[in-house]
Amino acid sequence: MSSPFDQIIVSEEWENSDVSLLETLDHVLNRGLVIAGEITISVADIDLIFLGLNVMVSSVETAQDLLRKRQTETIAE
Amino acid sequence: MKLYAYCLVEDLDTLDVPVRGIDGAAVRLLKIDEFGVLVSDGESDAFPLTKESAVAHDTVVRSVFDRRTLLPFRFGSVVSEQQLRHYVATYKPALKKSLAHVRGCVQMDLKIIWQYTKPAAGPLPEEDRGPGTTFLEKKRRELLGDERQVAEKTELSNLLHKELGDLLRDEQIELQPSKTAVLAAVFHLIERANTARYRENVQEIRNKRPDLKIRLSGPWPPYSFVNIELEFKSQFGVS
Repeated sequence: MSSPFDQIIVSEEWENSDVSLLETLDHVLNRGLVIAGEITISVADIDLIFLGLNVMVSSVETAQDLLRKRQTETIAE
Repeated sequence: MKLYAYCLVEDLDTLDVPVRGIDGAAVRLLKIDEFGVLVSDGESDAFPLTKESAVAHDTVVRSVFDRRTLLPFRFGSVVSEQQLRHYVATYKPALKKSLAHVRGCVQMDLKIIWQYTKPAAGPLPEEDRGPGTTFLEKKRRELLGDERQVAEKTELSNLLHKELGDLLRDEQIELQPSKTAVLAAVFHLIERANTARYRENVQEIRNKRPDLKIRLSGPWPPYSFVNIELEFKSQFGVS
């Protein structure tokens, strides 16, 4: 699946860190002006998924959960 | 060519110091009408979604935060220059209104853990429950939960306003209730000059209410006070 919007490569580098980092992530991921209506995320170069920009992308696990859900839905169709 | 957008700034004509953004890319100032937008160039749409990228986004925003009024873009805002210009043209009145709202201000965050003193409403007594009773009980729990959340938000807001009220230009409270406690995320917009006083007054709240666990952070760029899309929708009825 391709998108005219942003393509973001999700790396496996997310890890637990201190609270200030989490707060920074909370701000930049969940808040701020939204330009485009959606973005596309590529998880480990395997697939692409669309996310509304109001969706919180808190970790690679979140993205992978969404990817798994999407794959399940695709299979079900 | 794609642009990664970090923030929209007013009254900025040049970047005094070189700034590096996501993936080490050079950040430049793109002038659109009377606004400046901090951007970096990329050949493709892709960039690494790592904590380093997220921190780099915040670092670029902060590079002008102490000198200028700005509206941060959300992480992951990769657009063409045409899209960006169209966005600014479309939302210009709302952008100006938002800039006026946050001018000279910083965002302060409070994370508050608040233990309940009263138990949550329990279920109705076990009797012969038909589907109607079950439905009504579910509705009752929802209503009580909503009422309780409104009451908690009001109580917390009143408490904070007693000590901080004269410092606040705007406030947002998000509650995450559980059975035993409430975790409240409170975002305050205050004038930059009042930062020290705000900290002192939060310490006063800590002293008066040792039952509350309060974590204070800031000053932050006004990430939580720039949601112009919602204002645009409510103003023009667009969904």
